[in-house]
Amino acid sequence: METRMILLVEDNPSDVDLARRALDKKGVLNELVVARDGQEALDFLFGTGPYAGRDTAVQPALVLLDLRLPKVDGLTVLGRVRADEGTRKIPVVILTTSDEDSDLDAAYSLGANSFIRKPIDFERFAEALSQIGMYWLVLNEPPPLNR
Amino acid sequence: MTAEAGTPAVQELQSRIDELQTELTTTNHEILSLTLELDQRVEERTAQLQAAQDELQRTNSDLLQLTLELEDRVAERTDEVRMLNAELERRVEERTAELAEVNKELETFAYSVSHDLRAPLRGIDGWSLALLEDYGDALDDTGRGFIRTVRAETERMAQLIDALLQLSRVTRREMRREVVDLTGLAREVAEELRQADADRRAEIVIVPGIVAHGDRTLLRAVLQNLLGNAWKFTNKREHARIELGIVLGPGQRAYFVRDNGAGFNMAFSSKLFAPFQRLHNTGEFPGTGVGLATVQRIIGRHGGRVWAEGVPDEGATFYFTLGGDHGDQDDPAGRGQPE
Repeated sequence: METRMILLVEDNPSDVDLARRALDKKGVLNELVVARDGQEALDFLFGTGPYAGRDTAVQPALVLLDLRLPKVDGLTVLGRVRADEGTRKIPVVILTTSDEDSDLDAAYSLGANSFIRKPIDFERFAEALSQIGMYWLVLNEPPPLNR
Repeated sequence: MTAEAGTPAVQELQSRIDELQTELTTTNHEILSLTLELDQRVEERTAQLQAAQDELQRTNSDLLQLTLELEDRVAERTDEVRMLNAELERRVEERTAELAEVNKELETFAYSVSHDLRAPLRGIDGWSLALLEDYGDALDDTGRGFIRTVRAETERMAQLIDALLQLSRVTRREMRREVVDLTGLAREVAEELRQADADRRAEIVIVPGIVAHGDRTLLRAVLQNLLGNAWKFTNKREHARIELGIVLGPGQRAYFVRDNGAGFNMAFSSKLFAPFQRLHNTGEFPGTGVGLATVQRIIGRHGGRVWAEGVPDEGATFYFTLGGDHGDQDDPAGRGQPE
């Protein structure tokens, strides 16, 4: 079975590299696509802007979504993903520094599959990413492709 | 003329009559004179009275005028006061709105602190670990030690940020008062402490049947901090003893958490509840210095008071009251019984 990509929506380049390093270390081999703000994530998912012409039938197996993002924030991205027939079934894991009740509440209300608060300790961060990958990409049966 | 006309007796009588006649005339004159005087006086008095009455009438009419003026003024002033009141209310509303706005800004600030400070901290931790993993061989033990110190300091800063956020959350959280089983809460917290530090031995005595009126989540945080402190500061005691109980005062009661740990010097008691103030160094007893500040804010929000007594190397007792807590749901029969 072909491995499907992970879309990481994260604006902090250091966090992107750390996530990449953590996934490598834990042997998660899926291709990692990075969107640096909410608009870029939407463009990728819906094949618009710089991603015009992308085959939108091929969608990520998992979206790792930060909440505080430039241009379009994470909750708006989540809302748009859940509102569209082509993307609504994609598992979305909120991966953020926030543990504000209001964010948790809003994220789950909008249909987030999971909410992970990024630990500061890198080993725990790597462990969290590995468990997310293990659960959503290996253990969990993904929704069928819309081909 | 009769024979007796010339007698001395008659003459005497005649003379007496004449005298009386004269006297009468004089008296009549006097009476007349007095009557005239009286008439004059009556006229005078009448005139005076008339004048007085005229004066009174003028005064009355002046008074009436003044009363009317006064009423006008009172009405004016009342209008002014009413307008000022309305103005005052408007200002209070304005200020309240401003305060709410500032509070919201503070919330946003706390949120930013959470997000913005934690992210670079994770970078520092991650990349120093990457350095250790990928280039550790190129460093000697001292160099690798430095990296470990960087990571330990990062961890400490993360704890400080989390503590700060806990403090701000306690202030912002909506409060819901209910009847809270303080004994039950304390038992839960004590169990958590025992599980987190299974090697420790400490006697924890919790008075049964303590019921308080307050916000359950916030009171739990109070007990976590006070019992957690007692647990921490007794860790060098061979026979550590921690106690939760109540003392009844006139019309109010105070809850207390007592330990036989490191205690503190009463001279520094004013510093106990200020954020980031610590009376012990971090190496001896780790901590952020935010726990008691959190306790004070929570108790303050309940309209209560918190204070402490301590003796260095003998122990400390922290007391707190909760406003609007009348302590009528207690079962005092069980007081003082150890767990």
